[in-house]
Amino acid sequence: MLSERSSRGTRESSRALAPDPATPLWRAAQVFRLLSVIYALGFQIAVNVDLERPIAAWALFGVLVAWNIACAVAYLQGFGRRAMWVAVELVVVVVFVLSTATVASDQWMQDNQPWATTLWATNVTISAAIQFGPILGMGAGLVVIASSAVLKDSISVNLGRHATIVIELAVGLAVGMAALTARRAHAELERATRLAAALEERERLSREVHDGAIQVLALVSRRSREIGGPTAELGELAGEQERALRRLVSAGSPPVPVGAEVDLVPLLRSRESDRVSTSLPATPVMIASATATELDAAVANALDNVAAHAGAGAHAFVLLEDLGASVVVSIRDDGVGIAAGRLGQAVDEGRVGISNSIVGRMKWLGGSATLSTGPGTGTEWELTVPRGSARGS
Amino acid sequence: MAVEGGFTVMVVDDHPIWRDAVARDLVEDGFDVVATAAGVESARRRAAVVKPDVVLMDMRLGDGTGTQATTAVLEVSPSSRILVLSASAEREDVLQAVKAGATGYLVKSASKSELAEAVRATGEGRAVFTPGLAGLVLGEYRRMAKAPAKGSAPPSLSERETEILRYVAKGLTAKQIAEKLTLSHRTVENHVQATFRKLQVANRVELARYAIQHGLDE
Repeated sequence: MLSERSSRGTRESSRALAPDPATPLWRAAQVFRLLSVIYALGFQIAVNVDLERPIAAWALFGVLVAWNIACAVAYLQGFGRRAMWVAVELVVVVVFVLSTATVASDQWMQDNQPWATTLWATNVTISAAIQFGPILGMGAGLVVIASSAVLKDSISVNLGRHATIVIELAVGLAVGMAALTARRAHAELERATRLAAALEERERLSREVHDGAIQVLALVSRRSREIGGPTAELGELAGEQERALRRLVSAGSPPVPVGAEVDLVPLLRSRESDRVSTSLPATPVMIASATATELDAAVANALDNVAAHAGAGAHAFVLLEDLGASVVVSIRDDGVGIAAGRLGQAVDEGRVGISNSIVGRMKWLGGSATLSTGPGTGTEWELTVPRGSARGS
Repeated sequence: MAVEGGFTVMVVDDHPIWRDAVARDLVEDGFDVVATAAGVESARRRAAVVKPDVVLMDMRLGDGTGTQATTAVLEVSPSSRILVLSASAEREDVLQAVKAGATGYLVKSASKSELAEAVRATGEGRAVFTPGLAGLVLGEYRRMAKAPAKGSAPPSLSERETEILRYVAKGLTAKQIAEKLTLSHRTVENHVQATFRKLQVANRVELARYAIQHGLDE
């Protein structure tokens, strides 16, 4: 017990430190960073002689290399994957772009891209897209564009000849979507894993409760009923708890929708109680979720009717049958039934209102609901729903 | 209450308190409890020796399941009749036990007199069932009809059998069903029993085919 709990503790804490699902993207981004720095180096070698202050330009390039090493380490190690670091990177990129004004002439700036290159500046678009998603990724791309526009004192609206703005937006969008998808898939997987663990735990618990508590309660209830007298009352209590526990452990998991369908078996099993028995197939009965909801509600209506009108001690039985093309649910009780000619009274009692609601639900599903009853023979609802008929959604 | 034809009974349950309590109750009711067992292996060994008329079978045993124990007992003592006495509600495992040859199912919360009646009925070759079990059996026939095993027609229910199983699943007693259909009580029980038996035969055929296909038949 103890060891299990502590192991769960470690699992919990390890999840907090779980690797970022976007890690592969961060790695790929650093490869891009390396290539973009090599490109910037080539550009620097090619244009350095044309600059006004070539030595200062080389010094700036050294700072750029150092900054990129820091960024690569930060993003690869993980400590850089935070809003603050990405924001700083954006500021640094803007500063590098604007620093072109200090090393080059106005004419050079009109004819060329910033000394650090637009390709290199795209690194921050990628970082922002991975960190924040597509919207802020595209935002960072716009900032990069804006900073080089400031240098030229103009912005090129001729998208045909200068596609930079489109490329920046596209990179932000594509990488951002990839990061978003990776995180969503990871969250989904994590949810499924947790669900599986919870189910397993429930199964184990059910086994233990089953082998211990339920057996003992059943025995106590049985023995004390035989002894009789006040002990019988104790036995009754034990018996109630035994039945409640059995229902609890056999209820299994709540129905998990599989696509647009849901299994009716656990749905109806959850209606079991001291006064309601269910007869269900061992295999799942899949049906459109919307249909299942209506059907379940109709069963609840019918059971409410039983509880309210069938008389004390009446027992209800719910039978689920999968006929392939249709699903049939019968709800029968062994109560007092409705005598012929007393339907009027039944209307007054509100019984018919509920009946109308059951019939209405089934009609809406394209199915049918029939009620058979008689004095002393209880009532029986038979609800038939064709498969794949759920109207609306 | 001493019973005519007091059957010999073996109680298989891994819970010692339960096993002893049930055995004592049965003795008081005039049954001859000839053996008790806590697991699949001990049930097999003892059944081979004592050949009990009725075996009261728990679904969860120390070294296996009630289904395995049912198969094991019927292997060494084919004339024994198996009554599943389970603390669990009717689920797939009870259906498996019926397919393996059990002819009855009772929840452990049943009273002493209900238990005695169920053991007696099982000993007489009658099927002991609950609405939940009937629902499972109905569902199983429909499953087999939908996905028939290769090469053979799946076992199916006659109209009358379906009708009767549905009534049982809806909580009617054999007596009530007999009145409704103007049949004898015994005929109704025979029909239910037939539905169990056909499942068992189908199960055996399926197992045999599986064994042949996989070369497991020794």
